[in-house]
Amino acid sequence: MKYRQSLKVLVVEDNLIDRRILESMLLETSNSTSLLKSSDSLAGALQLMSQYSFDVVILDLNLPDSQGENTLLKLNRQFPSVAVVINTGAYEDEVGIETLSFGAQDFLVKGKYNAYILNKALHYAIERKRLEAELVNAYRKVKEAQNQLIQSEKLKVVGTLASGVAHEVKNPLATLLYGIAYLSQNFSERDQNVDSVIQNMKQAITKANDIVTDLLNFASLTSLEKKKENIDNVIRNALNLVRHEFSRNHITVVQKIEDTLPQVMVDKNRIEQVIVNLILNAVHAMPDGGEITVRAYSRVLSEDLEDMPQLRRDEFKPGETIVILAVEDSGCGIPVDKIGQIFDPFFTTRRGEGGVGLGLSISKNIMDIHDGCIFVENKQNGGVRATLIFKVDTVKGGVLNGQEENLNYR
Amino acid sequence: MGKRKILIIDDERDFSDVVKMILESTGKYEVTIENDAGNALYAAIRCQPDLILLDVIMAGKEGPDVAIEIKGNSHFKETPIVFLTATVTQQEVDEGGGTIGGHAFVAKPSSLDILLDSIERNMVSA
Repeated sequence: MKYRQSLKVLVVEDNLIDRRILESMLLETSNSTSLLKSSDSLAGALQLMSQYSFDVVILDLNLPDSQGENTLLKLNRQFPSVAVVINTGAYEDEVGIETLSFGAQDFLVKGKYNAYILNKALHYAIERKRLEAELVNAYRKVKEAQNQLIQSEKLKVVGTLASGVAHEVKNPLATLLYGIAYLSQNFSERDQNVDSVIQNMKQAITKANDIVTDLLNFASLTSLEKKKENIDNVIRNALNLVRHEFSRNHITVVQKIEDTLPQVMVDKNRIEQVIVNLILNAVHAMPDGGEITVRAYSRVLSEDLEDMPQLRRDEFKPGETIVILAVEDSGCGIPVDKIGQIFDPFFTTRRGEGGVGLGLSISKNIMDIHDGCIFVENKQNGGVRATLIFKVDTVKGGVLNGQEENLNYR
Repeated sequence: MGKRKILIIDDERDFSDVVKMILESTGKYEVTIENDAGNALYAAIRCQPDLILLDVIMAGKEGPDVAIEIKGNSHFKETPIVFLTATVTQQEVDEGGGTIGGHAFVAKPSSLDILLDSIERNMVSA
């Protein structure tokens, strides 16, 4: 076990005498306390905690602005990684023990401890908090691995099924399509109805073919042709492919694309497919028209990734450059109870209107094999924002382009 | 110039019947069908086609094996083969300019124009 030489301690206590006692004890073991701050209110404590990073907080539960276990819960909610030792009034052993179940690491009973016990309690509390965090982290990883396993098993089954079904369906579709072509050539009594029926049949076949093609895409995601691409070109191509949908649905498109975006290593056809998918989702979310905004910009990830809380820390590192592509609509948003399912294969809100429910799950697969990620959220002022994140692999890119470029990054 | 001869090797009877009908309705082709991939070479020898339309996934024998067998016969070294198959999408074929890996492809399903165009382009002029 690593023994901490010095502690950064925050004392939250509204009783002046109790506070002074604690402070003097902490200073007595001065080799242990490297930073000591005090507050007589919860608000003051939270303020200090946002300024300094403390190892441990000694907390009185009953403060002028917060009483009882709520004090602990509020503090924990905002700063879940700080160890907390509760300072309870005399003869409140039961209260003290209870606080442990609300997330405190230890408790002290006023008047029943000395500097030595205090010091020991603080160190134990920090160690307990560290182990607790490790446990939570380990649990999260197991849970994630399990989810990924379930997901990949699900996809494997769907993939095998898809390629089989797609092939079996495409053959009869081909027979139908050529058969219709033959009939339309050889129909002697021509009237308008025959033409429109034939047209409808052709469309139905095309639609069925599109659906099984989507399924096939699922099964064939293994081979990628990654090249360095300008993402703005890929966006332009994607927008071009679905241009006719915009005028038909009374949708205006706003592009906010940064001028000097770094290149990204992608399979442009696959990423085009993802972008088209997001745009079509946006179009479908606005049956009465609206506005689609396509943004693309790059940024260097900050030290704590706080600005991008959705990114997984084991995959994205501070200082890393990423390219962000967002498609936003002004539609009705995703119902809160559905948002957890949107990446599930065959989940769709448009069952019966041509939706198969593979678009987003294919998109997620494609982003996964690009080491990127995708997330979809409701915007605060209505509508949905779908975001794609691409890694800009500067070091690898530098090596590929020769040593000189590589040196420039240092 | 007489009619050009096309051999369809495909285990889907309905499909090959319709293709035969529609190709012959153009007045330009005479079409022979072989639904058993195992008989492909024998059918080719019998019909001496100017072009072969070949399915890829068939019961018994796969299209590429049939192609190797036919191409391996000195009579058919120059006979063009167009793979007519549901294993590819027309988009993939179009991206390769009508070919994938150097071989001519037409996706199932695709429009009649695409099929006719591919036949005309690959048929060696008489």
